[in-house]
Amino acid sequence: MAIEFKKNLAVFSDFVGVEEAEALLEWLLKNPKGKINLADCTHIHASNLQVLMAVKPTIAAQSKDEDLQLWLSTLLN
Amino acid sequence: MNSLLEQFLSEARDFLQGIGEKLMQLESDPTSTPLMTELFRFVHTLKGNSGLFDFPEMTRVLHASEDLMDAVRNGRVGYSQKLADELLEAMDFVGVLMDEIEAEGEIGKNHATTATELAQALRSLISDSKVSTPVAEQVSIDSFSEDGPAVKAISWDELPTLNLAETVAIELYRCAINGDAVFWIEYTPEPECFFKGEDPFFLARQVPDNAWRNAILNNTASSLVEMDVFSSQLVFQFLTSAPAEELDDLFRYVPDQIHRIEIPALAFVKPIGNTDESVIDDDFINNTLLLLENDDLDGVARTIKTMLELSAPELWSSSALRWVLQLIELEPQNKAAQRLLLESLRTLTPPDWSTLTHSVQINSITTNPVISVDISEFPETLLRDFHTVINAQREILSLPANTSGEWSVGRLKSVAVSLIGCYRAINQAHEVEAIDAALQNALAENSPTPLLTWLESALTNVPELTVTEEDPQIATIFPVATQNEVKFGRRVEDTTAAATASKTLKVDQDKIDRLMNLIGEMVVAKNALPYLANRAETVFGVRDLAREIKAQYAVINRVAEEMQDTIMQVRMMPVSFIFQRFPRMVRDISRKLGKEVELVLEGETTEADKNIIEALSDPLIHIVRNSLDHGLEQPDVRLAAGKNAAGKLLIRASQESDRVLIEIIDDGKGINPDVIKHKAYEKGLIDEATLERISDQDAVNLVFAAGFSTADVISDLSGRGVGMDVVRSAVEKVNGTVGIESEVGKGTRLYLSLPLSMAVTNVMIIQSNQQIFGVPMDIVVETVRVPSIHIQRIKQKQTTVLRGRIVPLLSLNDLLASNVAQLPNEDNEFATLIVRVHGEHVGILVDEFRETVDIILKPMTGILGGLAGYSGAALLGDGSVLMVLNPRELI
Amino acid sequence: MKHILVIDDAATVRLYHRNILETAGYSVSEAINGIEALEKALVKSYDLYVVDVNMPKLDGYGFLKEFRRHEDITQAPAIMVSTEAGTHDKALGYAAGANLYLTKPIKPNELLSYTRLLLGDVA
Repeated sequence: MAIEFKKNLAVFSDFVGVEEAEALLEWLLKNPKGKINLADCTHIHASNLQVLMAVKPTIAAQSKDEDLQLWLSTLLN
Repeated sequence: MNSLLEQFLSEARDFLQGIGEKLMQLESDPTSTPLMTELFRFVHTLKGNSGLFDFPEMTRVLHASEDLMDAVRNGRVGYSQKLADELLEAMDFVGVLMDEIEAEGEIGKNHATTATELAQALRSLISDSKVSTPVAEQVSIDSFSEDGPAVKAISWDELPTLNLAETVAIELYRCAINGDAVFWIEYTPEPECFFKGEDPFFLARQVPDNAWRNAILNNTASSLVEMDVFSSQLVFQFLTSAPAEELDDLFRYVPDQIHRIEIPALAFVKPIGNTDESVIDDDFINNTLLLLENDDLDGVARTIKTMLELSAPELWSSSALRWVLQLIELEPQNKAAQRLLLESLRTLTPPDWSTLTHSVQINSITTNPVISVDISEFPETLLRDFHTVINAQREILSLPANTSGEWSVGRLKSVAVSLIGCYRAINQAHEVEAIDAALQNALAENSPTPLLTWLESALTNVPELTVTEEDPQIATIFPVATQNEVKFGRRVEDTTAAATASKTLKVDQDKIDRLMNLIGEMVVAKNALPYLANRAETVFGVRDLAREIKAQYAVINRVAEEMQDTIMQVRMMPVSFIFQRFPRMVRDISRKLGKEVELVLEGETTEADKNIIEALSDPLIHIVRNSLDHGLEQPDVRLAAGKNAAGKLLIRASQESDRVLIEIIDDGKGINPDVIKHKAYEKGLIDEATLERISDQDAVNLVFAAGFSTADVISDLSGRGVGMDVVRSAVEKVNGTVGIESEVGKGTRLYLSLPLSMAVTNVMIIQSNQQIFGVPMDIVVETVRVPSIHIQRIKQKQTTVLRGRIVPLLSLNDLLASNVAQLPNEDNEFATLIVRVHGEHVGILVDEFRETVDIILKPMTGILGGLAGYSGAALLGDGSVLMVLNPRELI
Repeated sequence: MKHILVIDDAATVRLYHRNILETAGYSVSEAINGIEALEKALVKSYDLYVVDVNMPKLDGYGFLKEFRRHEDITQAPAIMVSTEAGTHDKALGYAAGANLYLTKPIKPNELLSYTRLLLGDVA
């Protein structure tokens, strides 16, 4: 699984593909205060990007991928 | 909303309607050149209008539609079903945008994608029939004006608004100045791209040499729960200095989703910062401008650097000064830009570079010599425009003579007048004499040469610019002007010409309604005069005054009636208002059903009151839908029955005295009365006896009976059951009637008969139980007095025989639930109103008949509105209220 | 007051031009196609004509050609306003009798500036 859903935290790892988007949205709707850990994530599919942009959850940890971090830090603010 | 926008919307809707109609007509006559020309003109004008406003989505779609229609008109693209569909869809989209503009004053941001898609779909129809167009070129059609070197640069209006950090902006500006094109890219992935395995975000991350990038979410769902995560709603935007080829290559699979614009260098020059304060004063600006005029760029730089040391760096003015330094360094020749930027310090608003580039374009592309005039005296724009006009005249004079080798006097004169105007406008009136002399020679020779010679000399000999306050030579103008007036003597002030400019006036409906109400009140008020006259005579005994009042009343009465007539005329609308949607509707439905239908509309110019027309709209749509759904057969069935494959649907309007008759006639399978009879019997609408003896016509009429139509009936029947009772009640609400005739296998004719106007109602006043009531005259068949001995009781019900027909009698007091017997007259006769209700004659017993009057019927509102037995109330001349009965509901 | 005839089939455009020109103190009349424009222009000489190209019945070229044939009344300048920016269209406009060829949409200042120049009015 590219996303591991914990109680209040969704941990993204490596490449998060299109198939995760629906579960991500559901989880975020159920856990409005849920945070996102992107530390080990290198890329998210555009479908996940639009979910994150729509919900704008708190980022618990930024991606170590510099370019992704740059994109997401501006888009999710 | 401002009036220009209102005008635009109102006119645009007419155009959309027109476009729809022309497309329909074109469908039946696909090669008609006049139709195509007309269609093109509609689209073209609509596009032009939309360009006056900032509605880029609308303009984009219309522009593509126009290009497509232009191609069709010129025979480059053939007319096709697909083409009509695409165009109709585009026009529907434009309609949606207009609704939004009307409601919100602007277009929502979420339409950009649709607009681009529609535009591309339309353009693909053009390019399908040509060699496929490279992407870059297609984009350029959208974002650049088409041809000619004069408009090679993009329009400033189309540039995206850039809000960049100053350092980023400076970097991009330097790139652009150094010849590395900077592109604005907008990447709008198609919504369904995820299903094609695409990852737009991945692609977006590959864009090289990003100076700035962003993503926008156009979430159309109203809540997160409804968000469709698998439909892309993203738009990515970039500013990049990467080479065009590299970008083309990157986006080679999604070229149609890319909008690319090259940004001119100056667009980046946009000071930012705090505008609340500024340490710059006019002296500083003037001094710096002076240094600039003297080409002392070092001096300019020095002054600015000193000022920058004195100012806080976050000020807008500091930002502007830093930009001036950049301009001086990188574009030392571009004085105009430097000047404009310095000037902007006066207002602390960014300079409008569009004014500048325009003049730069003109100067750089034109081969025409430019007159150098003392710039300081006039705004730069005026001089630029001056040159434009002068060069236009030069171009005109250089044109070859027309085919007959003649130069028309009008053209020569107008060139001279234009030149004179130009020179006067820049206070160079002393040239007028020379121009006039050249004109006289030109006219004498019937050749443009003298004027052209003068113009060339004026263009090479830089004119002395000695502008004085009052140029005495301006006086030479006046002889020319007065001479013209005397000579042509046609300066008649004709106000009529101006007044006829627009013969129709669009008026808000509320105003008309208000006017009608006022006229209604006036009609009622005027009715008080006869009462007054009566009182003058009987109560006060002044017969002369009574007579005068009556005479006056006659005059007012006539005027009031005319006013009433006129307002009725104003409210009249042609039935085409409803008819015009049928071609599209019939086309869409029949295509969905797989049927072929030939729709014929007749009598579209027939007029009726607006309320009637509006009330007619829904029932009519209902009926037409039914005809298509259940009346007309599938093509194979029709062919088997020996009919044309295409069914015929005729909708005809005509006027019969004071009523409008609307007929909907189809040549479908008709209605089988036996089926209806049995269904009605099963539904319990008729008893067994009726089932046996009911006539075919009466059986068919049962489709209008309430409770007849249910979903399971339609599938068995020829189908006309659906909601026909709804249709009937809607029509009866406006005093209309509906009828049906049908022949099995041949078709069905449905007809609606409606009053022309419902504003004024003619009612008969009757008296019952010491009260007066109104009864609408249009349902009163006759009034009779029935002797009590002729009233028979059949099973609790009173009846009488009238001209050999049994007529049921009902007492009004009973109907109104008051337990009082009707009063007969001295001869023991009962006053009886024979009314026609649902095609049957019924007698209503009342106490006494009174006069008939015209009234303005007002529907009752509030609690009284629920009383079905009344159709409304009206004020009488003596101020009393008349309740008007609705016998249809009462019985 | 100088009188300008605005000829355009689009009511929106007519209103747009009218607003601009009237604000600057000109008197404006309207015509909705070339035929109507001719009817007016041959009765009253206006000081300036602002002519659309594409119109029903008689287009802008047709109007100007016919109008310029009437020797005694046609010295007034004409601005042709078109959506086509091509040089060919422009040459056609000039040949028909226009004195200036502008491309839509025209900015208010632009229209005003050209109007003043052609009429010899100092702003």
